[in-house]
Amino acid sequence: MSSTARLSMRGIDKSFGGVPVLSNVELTLEAGEVVALLGSNGAGKSTLVKILTGLYSRDAGTVEVDGQAVVFGKPADAIAAGVKLLPQEISVMPDLSVGENILLGDLPMKPGFGFKQVDYKTIHIRATELLAQLGFEALDTHQDVKRLSVAEQRIVEIARAIAGQARILIMDEPTAALTEQEAELLFAIIRRLKEQRVSVVYISHYMSEVFEISDRIVVLRDGRNAGDFVTATTNKAEVLAAMLGATAGDLYPTEPPPPPGTDVLKVEGFGVRGKIADVSFAVRSGEILGIFGLVGSGVEVLGRALYGAVHSERSGQVTLDGRPYRPSTPQHGKEAGIGFVAAERKKEGIIADLTVRENIALPFQSRFTRGLFVSTEAETGHAQNWIRDLGIRTRGPEQKLRTLSGGNQQKVCLARWLVEGVKLLILEEPTRGVDIGARREIYGKLRELTAKGYAVIILSSDVEEVAGISDRSLVLDRGRVVEQFPRGVTPAALMAATAETQTA
Amino acid sequence: MATTTETAAAAPSLKRRFMELLAKPWSGVAMLLVFYLILIAVFSILSPFFFNTRNMLQIGLNVAYIGLMAAAGTPLIIAGGLDLSVAAIAGLTGVMISLLVGLGVPVWVAVGLALALAAAIGVANGLFTTRLKLNPLITTLGMMSIVSGIALVLTGGLTRPLMIPGFNWIGNERLFSIPIPLIIMVVTFFALWLVMTKTKFGRFIYAAGGNAEASRLIGIPVERTVIVLYVISALAGAVAGTILGAMLGAAGPNAAGSQLLTVIAAIILGGTSLNGGRGSVWGTLLAVLILGTLNNGLTLLNVSSFWQDVTRGVVLMLAVSLDQLRNRALGE
Repeated sequence: MSSTARLSMRGIDKSFGGVPVLSNVELTLEAGEVVALLGSNGAGKSTLVKILTGLYSRDAGTVEVDGQAVVFGKPADAIAAGVKLLPQEISVMPDLSVGENILLGDLPMKPGFGFKQVDYKTIHIRATELLAQLGFEALDTHQDVKRLSVAEQRIVEIARAIAGQARILIMDEPTAALTEQEAELLFAIIRRLKEQRVSVVYISHYMSEVFEISDRIVVLRDGRNAGDFVTATTNKAEVLAAMLGATAGDLYPTEPPPPPGTDVLKVEGFGVRGKIADVSFAVRSGEILGIFGLVGSGVEVLGRALYGAVHSERSGQVTLDGRPYRPSTPQHGKEAGIGFVAAERKKEGIIADLTVRENIALPFQSRFTRGLFVSTEAETGHAQNWIRDLGIRTRGPEQKLRTLSGGNQQKVCLARWLVEGVKLLILEEPTRGVDIGARREIYGKLRELTAKGYAVIILSSDVEEVAGISDRSLVLDRGRVVEQFPRGVTPAALMAATAETQTA
Repeated sequence: MATTTETAAAAPSLKRRFMELLAKPWSGVAMLLVFYLILIAVFSILSPFFFNTRNMLQIGLNVAYIGLMAAAGTPLIIAGGLDLSVAAIAGLTGVMISLLVGLGVPVWVAVGLALALAAAIGVANGLFTTRLKLNPLITTLGMMSIVSGIALVLTGGLTRPLMIPGFNWIGNERLFSIPIPLIIMVVTFFALWLVMTKTKFGRFIYAAGGNAEASRLIGIPVERTVIVLYVISALAGAVAGTILGAMLGAAGPNAAGSQLLTVIAAIILGGTSLNGGRGSVWGTLLAVLILGTLNNGLTLLNVSSFWQDVTRGVVLMLAVSLDQLRNRALGE
């Protein structure tokens, strides 16, 4: 059987500057099989994918596609062999039509006027055929791609991969920008691809997705194979244990919440023009308030509006520690004692070229300044404290933030606000793109912080996260609060709360 | 199989080592220093007049006003801005001083007024690019055109005399046998280095250029930081214009215009990223010295000054390519 495998990678070694990143890694893929590739950040997933797609050369090992030994010196070699990566960020040409985008790699030509011309007629016929293979023949191939939804752009991208005769598709967090319903659509397409004997390597941090769509789960840990499970016969606990190693435990903290204190933030009839209307809630010290909403529900606006980072017109009453509070800039929010961590870590969170020390000190730089000059010693001491306390894995405070993994970058973003005077943390998607080990540490730390009197608001589109961590939770839908739940709510109940209003 | 893998791996490994070197934070400045020393060695061999104190100080004097503008432009580009109007401001400053003195205004008052006008131009540049979010390239290109146009209108396109007792010394005198313009330039570099690496404001410069949105969201006054840097750049342009006028004893409406490219070239060659967030004034200083040394050396070798435009262009394009390579090295 293994001799006819679609893909067989064996004994793959790779090291950077003498540090082994992959040792003796193995990955096989049958035709029409969906294999989920799991592992914490730094486990070696992305390095393995880069070797498979010709971005990196391997130090040792063999790669065979359909029994043929291959060496990919550059990405084009991999594509020629039928290996295609769909990166996390969708890459389509917004100003070209759907048809042109799909057939971009090999535009059909026809003769005419003495030179070769693009054959638009054939483009649209072939593009429609390809879309039909995916079950989307209804998509108009003449319209510009920029008019499509994110999910439809994904479909175009997949159709393009099939047009290029891809036999192995690597999907890196393909649902990252999709809503729940759009994700279902994507899964339907993956099932169709299976029928056509296309193999898929599926990379995701979402355990529930992995269990829904994969046939097999391959787990990497510290650059080695740590488990190979048939999805139908395993469970989340088993997979988690493989990812985390011997230290596996519960993802969410089990200790009971501290007795709630006084109201820190009280919101009454709060609205943001065009986004949010009539939202009321309070969050007390010692409490983690989870706010769940799908993309477009207002969940991506509410947090930053309360912090002062939204320019649109606002309405309603907000009090902070019993005093009226109307922030119009992030400075206001910060000075009032609110810390904010944005959803898009790369775009809105980290300053990649500054060091860990500089990043942590940045929001309250004055406190690390003596007279005219910044005190590097004060910064270093502070940074080292939080590196230790939060378990930030770094060579030291002088390491550039860009070289840290996502989870550790997130911890740095959190550490920025752990100074005296901050009493409320507003965290958007606090564990998006964060590996499971770091997630557990972040959740544990949030619980610990509430015990010290912090109030925490988490705004998230990850239903399991909100259910798992919240002492109380709200569900946002179309800019309004549609349900409230006490501690211990199930993910299904949260999801049902949004679904009800959407069908109503 | 094993041999193919080895040869495939061996070829890119040299390239990879080069890329890793490029990714090191000090790589830019170190490479410049080596290049500078090689340049000095080569010219010393080729020309007997090159390597002596007098000529070295002459190079320093020649580049002083250029270095001033490049020094102030460095933090601006690091913070994500760009000032193409700086050389035009230098031209207008000389013209203004000359005209005001002609009207009977005391020379130092005239200098003060010219500096105030420059500051106002800097504020305008800053407001247009931050509040209105206009592209700095277009904004300051427009400002350059306006400013140099006004200077031409004021003088009718002619160069005006600027021989004023008690003024020309800042261009011609020496302190401990070092030309005053050179001292002003070095002090400016040192002061900017202190500000950029040791102060809160300096941290804001790198943060704003590295990730403006993230900086805004942690409550850093990004716009104010950038506006202040535009003002500093414009003021440096005015000081450069003052020094140049004093050195030449004359004020041309476009006296410094031809050096705008040198200023930008020096900043980029010095390792400051056009994308912002990365760079240092020492890199810029080395680059200014390299460009000045090239000019001086080629002149001593009797190479036509027209060729010097070509060398400057080549060096600039090499520098931009290197910046691009470095970005790639950091991206991987």
